[in-house]
Amino acid sequence: MSKPLYQVPDGLVYTKEHEWARVTGNTAKVGITDYASKTLNDIVYLTLPSVGQELKQFVSFGTVESIKAVSELYSPLSGQVTNTNQGLLDHPELINKSPYEAGWIIEIKYSRLEEEKKTLMPPKQYQEFLRTLEAEHQS
Amino acid sequence: MYEFHRKQGKIVEFAGYEMPIWYTSTVEEHMAVRNSAGIFDVSHMGRVNLTGPDSGRFVERVFPTSLAKHPDGKSVYTLFLNEEAGIIDDLIVLKIEHARYLLVVNAACKVKDLKHMEESRGGLDFNLDDITEVTTMIAIQGPSAVDALQLLTPLPLAEMKRFTHSTTTVKGIRAIVTRTGYTGEDGFEIILYDAASGAMGVWEALARVATPCALGARDSLRLEAGLPLYGTDIDETTNPLEADLGWVLSKEKPSYIGSRSLTSQVRQNPAKIRRGIIMDERIPRRNFSVTNLAGTEIGSVTSGTFSPVLKRGIAMGYVKTPSSHLGDTVNVVVRDTPSTGKIAKFPFYDETRFGWKRNRISNSI
Repeated sequence: MSKPLYQVPDGLVYTKEHEWARVTGNTAKVGITDYASKTLNDIVYLTLPSVGQELKQFVSFGTVESIKAVSELYSPLSGQVTNTNQGLLDHPELINKSPYEAGWIIEIKYSRLEEEKKTLMPPKQYQEFLRTLEAEHQS
Repeated sequence: MYEFHRKQGKIVEFAGYEMPIWYTSTVEEHMAVRNSAGIFDVSHMGRVNLTGPDSGRFVERVFPTSLAKHPDGKSVYTLFLNEEAGIIDDLIVLKIEHARYLLVVNAACKVKDLKHMEESRGGLDFNLDDITEVTTMIAIQGPSAVDALQLLTPLPLAEMKRFTHSTTTVKGIRAIVTRTGYTGEDGFEIILYDAASGAMGVWEALARVATPCALGARDSLRLEAGLPLYGTDIDETTNPLEADLGWVLSKEKPSYIGSRSLTSQVRQNPAKIRRGIIMDERIPRRNFSVTNLAGTEIGSVTSGTFSPVLKRGIAMGYVKTPSSHLGDTVNVVVRDTPSTGKIAKFPFYDETRFGWKRNRISNSI
């Protein structure tokens, strides 16, 4: 089998809307996946929530924009925003360059991890999900 | 060339053609055209030969721009208008000689343009020959376009004036080369009399000296240059004055299709006018409302994007004429949030640094 087209790192959980969450301690960092960043192409603008804002799982907390289109960002987990990646405001292209590291978008203090985790995909399942999408695209 | 696009690019459907929206990155492709040179496969554009004894008379009847006053070898931007002076299409007419023209029209408009011309025939003796499928069209655009294309053609490109064309060969293939484009930059559009391997060879040779660019960059470049896109920024509900294209109407020309509707009232007081807006922040998109600072709606956006040169959101749209002064602050309503911007001239970029006039302007300072 050929090398996968998109990076899907281990240790993260994924949504069908192509966000990821990396849980460490009682917080989780959130961003968009390599697939999302490549599909959007050049990310040129984004809007971030404020620190302290309460987020609900799968509800929009901001937008990312490419030259051509706007995309909503949906939170993989419920919780309170503890930090946002201010560096992205001047360099939104970091999301394209490093979607899982320098291009993280927000950090949240999650409130219902155990329950909500069941509704997110582990890496293998997300990789499989991407394969289905690509197959649909090509047929 | 589809094979090249399919292998190298991200494909979308456009006007019934499958075309790439980007090869690598819209921003990189865009900046390659502003700083060096980019190539575009524009084979989807309609190409129609207009020939025959009365073709010179016909172009005077059907176009608001006088072609009679131009010498052979001129490429002219003009419009097809309906009787109400609504814009049926915008196009480039290549005046090859008095009784021979090549019309380059929008892909999605070709069928209605041909119908319009037949319906406007009025007994004149001319022929229309659609050569779209037997030719290929490639644009090369940017400040290095002359040097890049010169490698493939004996035609002395630097001597050509803008908006002129010549018949020549490109990599040995018979071609018409016109110094025109849709990016604001210097450059050429090449119509190759080959639709197969010869054309692919030209594309591949140009791809070694210029960056392949796709639809995404074509759209952001034309928008930054202030050039309207038919069906998006202009259509049959807009007249040339509203579209800020009044300059295509030849003053000395008394009568053409649509002229009766362009009364002095219409000419002097268009209700709305096409303008640019540069945003302070956020990115304007199609159909977003434009309001004045009191919150009253004064217009709407027809095209919007992020300008890679200005690093700001830019828009093109229509505003009520009394609210259309350059430099005025307006709001664009971005998903319920009014966001400020200024009414701006076209093109959006600094013409001493970008666009085909750059050398001319900086030399004269």
